[in-house]
Amino acid sequence: MVGLCLSDPHPDRAGDGSTIRTLSAARFAGRYRLVDFMLSNMVNSKIFTIGMILNSHYQSLISHIGMGKDWDLARKSGGVYFFPPYYADDRRSVNSELDGPLQRAAEYLNELKTEYVLLADSSIIYNMNYRKAFEAHKKSGADITAIYTKKKITTGERENTVAFTIDENNKVTGIGLSTPNAESVNASLGAYIMHKRHFIQLTAAEKNCGMLRFSRVLLTDALSRLSIEAYEFKGYSAHICSVETFFHYNLDILDINNRNSLFDFENRQIFTNRRDSLPAKYGKQADIKNSVISDGCQIDGTVINSVICRNVKIAPGAVIKNCVLQDDTVVEKNASMDCIITDNSVIISEGRTMMGYRTYPVYIERGRVI
Amino acid sequence: MRISERKECIAMLLAGGRGSRLKALTEQVAKPAVTFGGKYRIIDFPLTNCVRSGIDTVGVMTQYQPLLLHEYIGKGQHWDLDLLYGGVSILPPHSKPGSTAWYSGTANAVYQNQNFIESFAPEYVLVLAADHVYKMDYKTMLDYHKEVGADVTIAVIEVPIKDASRFGILNTAEDDRVVEFEEKPENPKNNLASMGIYIFNWRSLKSYLNDDENDPNSKHDFGGDVLPAMLRDGLKLFAYRFDGYWKDVGTEESLWQANMDLLDDLHLGFEDWHILSKSAGRPPHFIAETGSIKNTLITEGCEIYGSVENSILSVGVIVEEGAVVKDSVIMENARIGKNAKVTYSILDEDTHVPEGSTAGESKDDGGKLNLYSRGAIFEKNSEERGNS
Repeated sequence: MVGLCLSDPHPDRAGDGSTIRTLSAARFAGRYRLVDFMLSNMVNSKIFTIGMILNSHYQSLISHIGMGKDWDLARKSGGVYFFPPYYADDRRSVNSELDGPLQRAAEYLNELKTEYVLLADSSIIYNMNYRKAFEAHKKSGADITAIYTKKKITTGERENTVAFTIDENNKVTGIGLSTPNAESVNASLGAYIMHKRHFIQLTAAEKNCGMLRFSRVLLTDALSRLSIEAYEFKGYSAHICSVETFFHYNLDILDINNRNSLFDFENRQIFTNRRDSLPAKYGKQADIKNSVISDGCQIDGTVINSVICRNVKIAPGAVIKNCVLQDDTVVEKNASMDCIITDNSVIISEGRTMMGYRTYPVYIERGRVI
Repeated sequence: MRISERKECIAMLLAGGRGSRLKALTEQVAKPAVTFGGKYRIIDFPLTNCVRSGIDTVGVMTQYQPLLLHEYIGKGQHWDLDLLYGGVSILPPHSKPGSTAWYSGTANAVYQNQNFIESFAPEYVLVLAADHVYKMDYKTMLDYHKEVGADVTIAVIEVPIKDASRFGILNTAEDDRVVEFEEKPENPKNNLASMGIYIFNWRSLKSYLNDDENDPNSKHDFGGDVLPAMLRDGLKLFAYRFDGYWKDVGTEESLWQANMDLLDDLHLGFEDWHILSKSAGRPPHFIAETGSIKNTLITEGCEIYGSVENSILSVGVIVEEGAVVKDSVIMENARIGKNAKVTYSILDEDTHVPEGSTAGESKDDGGKLNLYSRGAIFEKNSEERGNS
């Protein structure tokens, strides 16, 4: 089985400054990026050939993955393949239309001996062994197996969640938007297993498409022609597609059950690139409650209910509550923050106060000095 | 067949020793593989120094309990030493026609690996002990070696004269040329201690190693045999003064102290040096509502529900609710049970202090440092005994 990552760009919704970075490269749980979960799941399921369909702003994603060494994907056979948009002819004009990477991916799939493809969306994260789903797929004889989970959908992810209607024979009979305020929906994990032939046919007319379009338009059109079997995943999952969900799910890992389900270090480790940051150092005045903190930090202030990424400095007297502070953020003396997301290298000057609200976190762009 | 390219200077790391003064810590692993500073092993320091100094060819001579050390070094990828030509090579003792020999001394270890060294045709060979914690630019030392036209340059550090009798002391002339070498002198005349870091001109070293091998009275040791022989023959031995942080971590006390030094200066004086290491790749650590952390280093994979003060916690350490850890160095994956107390101790990897037990003595009350390893038996603490 070969893996293929088909993500949505979420151009104006991503909480991580998507003007700079694609969502796959957004931070999660301190030291990870969203794409780490998808790559690790594939590697842990012995899928070692992985194609990445790229849309826009993919530079930081490519530099994060590199040759895939940190996922054991730097290989002579297999490894990570990037499919960026490209100019189809020799016009070489910046105004000429970009051609989609899907055709290239299809050509690539045709060349491979592998028959099956696993489509995945890096903005939905979970820790899962795809092998079991693959076995179920072959056993069921269905054309496509769609992986889903039963969950309550939070406000911020509703418009971006694909919900399945599933009949008593475990077949997907409908694909649509999730129902507002429903206790539980069959939420798609954006992961499908199929013969590569089906994927190539389904996307033949597309230049580029995200997972949302693939599910809602292409699969919906094909419902009458192809049989889609549902496969339930029972662990923890998070769909990060907006500022609100970025904030909500980062803080959600303060719950040990979610952490254990997502990281499951003993069985299926989540890999990420390694930087050998120094251990985190806590000063004599540090006061920390219910927080996840990464290496490289120097913490002398108060941190409550927060997720702190790598190399963040928090000075004495500073108070951080319900925040997600990304790499290299500096919080100076006596500054105070509640419900704030900082992008990389933000500086909060001495004595500043910043406040958002649980349902309306405030996002500070990369490199800003407050 | 081209197996290597010529290198000006290559490094030979002496990593075969047990470090027997570290007792239980080195029963399973060689001293260079002992955990240090939360997420490092001691060998990270010389390896990082080599890479940062532009030395990209390193032979690591191993002998005692090499399994973990070999696994840890791997292909050298964690230090950017997985190279097409050069990089890191692990050099265990091996049999060859006419001999099957363990390394009988530091000089003998290098002697037995002449072919490895020759394959790079180096001008200089840097011989290093692999069991010290320090950051040093060997390139600067090599420049000095060339500048003074030395045959051998020995890195030295000034120690308080009262401690000088614990070290190999170099007595020098005004220009820092070595005139005498004294191993642990009773009445030291000087306070320049050898750091176990030598730069040799390979051609002269090679001939001395061969002579030393044929000397039946030699113990085949650099400090005891080869360097004194060179000095007798009038070779130019120079001392190279180093004034940064350097710590021999050969005893429990010095290992504990060197760990604690990180609390005063996390970077040990080199902010941009960035020690390279094989990272465990665990999730960031978590500090719970019930946790409390003061003046402490903590790294990935730790879960803290109790209170930790003046301590160094390595990867994957769990401190359960009500537990107290103070003035201690806790190594990988150790677990401190509910309401247990750990004071002034070193806990080896995988040690489990059961619920309500006590480890160590109070440092504030003048207690001594204790070392515990996996399977150690702990006393129930007094409150627990009172309850039962």
